[in-house]
Amino acid sequence: MLWYKSFRELRTVTLVGAAAMAAACLFVVFYQQPMRATADVPMTYIAYIWKSIYNSLGTDMFLILSVILGSGGLLQERAQGTSGFTLALPVSRRHIVITRAVMGYCSVLIIAAVPIFAVPMASHFIGEYYPVAQTCGFFALWAAGGAVFYGLTFLLAHRLEGDYIAVLVAIPSFMLYGALLNLPWLARLPMLNIFHVINGEDMPFFNEAQHLLAAPLPLLTLTVMFAVSATFILLAARRIEPLDF
Amino acid sequence: MIPERVIQTSELTKNYGSFRAVDHLNLSVRAERITGFLGRNGAGKSSTIKMLLGMIQPSSGSGVVLGYRIDDPKQSIEIRRRIAYVGEDKGLYGYMTVAELIRFTRSFYRDWQPDIERRLLAEYRLPPNRKVKALSKGMRTKLALLLALSRRPALLILDEPTEGLDPVSIEELLQTLVSAPANGTTVFFSSHQLSEVERIADDILMIDRGCVVLDMSLEQIRENYRRISLGFSNPAPQLQSILGVEKMRSEGRQITILASSNADAIAQMGRDRGAVDIDVSPVNLREIFLETVQERNRQDQQQHLEREDALV
Repeated sequence: MLWYKSFRELRTVTLVGAAAMAAACLFVVFYQQPMRATADVPMTYIAYIWKSIYNSLGTDMFLILSVILGSGGLLQERAQGTSGFTLALPVSRRHIVITRAVMGYCSVLIIAAVPIFAVPMASHFIGEYYPVAQTCGFFALWAAGGAVFYGLTFLLAHRLEGDYIAVLVAIPSFMLYGALLNLPWLARLPMLNIFHVINGEDMPFFNEAQHLLAAPLPLLTLTVMFAVSATFILLAARRIEPLDF
Repeated sequence: MIPERVIQTSELTKNYGSFRAVDHLNLSVRAERITGFLGRNGAGKSSTIKMLLGMIQPSSGSGVVLGYRIDDPKQSIEIRRRIAYVGEDKGLYGYMTVAELIRFTRSFYRDWQPDIERRLLAEYRLPPNRKVKALSKGMRTKLALLLALSRRPALLILDEPTEGLDPVSIEELLQTLVSAPANGTTVFFSSHQLSEVERIADDILMIDRGCVVLDMSLEQIRENYRRISLGFSNPAPQLQSILGVEKMRSEGRQITILASSNADAIAQMGRDRGAVDIDVSPVNLREIFLETVQERNRQDQQQHLEREDALV
């Protein structure tokens, strides 16, 4: 039943996040005509969707929500005064931390999955077409990129006490990471740029002319991202195990 | 099989930086009895309880609860499976309803007793569909107690259980605790309410500054502890401390002695030294507690003053 506790803790943020993501997708689709009309250069509907959802608003929202979902856990419970009750349950701390991490990541996946349904269906409603295969491909990229953002925030939340401290530290950290990506020696390693990996920009698996995922996804890079996230979560569990509450 | 001593610690110590909260604590709690765990704020009660539950790691020493070592994470889970605990802050998940929290807690324990749960739910008048965050402090305390008492745990550990309860609920709780040993449950509870402790406890463990200062059954305390007042016609003489003298205070022509045993011999000593008025009276737990704690406070203050004088 620990999963139920985590589910209840995350339910509101997940529902609000999924609703916000759905609203963003619908807004982008339904306002496509005026937006495309005022664009500097004419673009196809598919290019418009990629630029609006997968290269700006949608991705930004998703990454921020991944960070928010990564906060929480036993240190936050200590601040709220419920850690005593949780720690008195006959389960290990590792179990508590891992359950919270898995449930949080499920929430990340739920939010990442919203465009899979929202974009093709809304597109169909306005007489346009956006391939489901594309939304599924971007879902896989978001799942991996979101895992890194989520994992790091989760680790921070298990090192820094306070309700929003992890989020407040994670967001500038990712901004700094974004800035560091402009360093020439890092720019030569495009797969280190998570922002580009998750939207396909400058990536060999993305067709820049058609704005479509055109080749098999970089499974090795995605696997490494999941591994990095898992490492962050294991470090969080290790950090909590010997801590006094 | 429950061991005769459900809790045993040996030289258990907890340091928070340079502050020593628990200082080489040796305590032992007998099975199927009610043990009152007393001490001032900051005496080390909560730190001791948290070490027993595996919430904080001992700095040194060891402890065993129901035969399981407290410093072994796997054994600590077994301890928590067999005991019930109500913490000082009664922090429960505010986002769950009463019914959800009961369902959640029940899922962790095979020994859950639905009949007790139903009885307590009705007795405490807890609204099943109300969110925990909407409950008053007293109701939250009742819910925490329901979660602990709806099983037949081998050991029930309560940290300030009556805090926030109204007098009727306190009475109900005390009655529940009194009947627990008959069902095979040992009760170990900390409290500042000495009158409550005196009403229900079989054994008393008093700690101060992390050390045990009194470990005795209430029966022994009642039988043996006496306040002996010696009145002299001249300024009171210097009396030697003999067996049983716990505290001795001299003021003018009066000497007041707190004795843990040997009251007759102490009174006789007073008589031999010229006491003209001798009064031997029983003492209650409150007096023992205050005497013990205040004496240590006085010693603290004296040492502090001496250190300050030395610095000047």
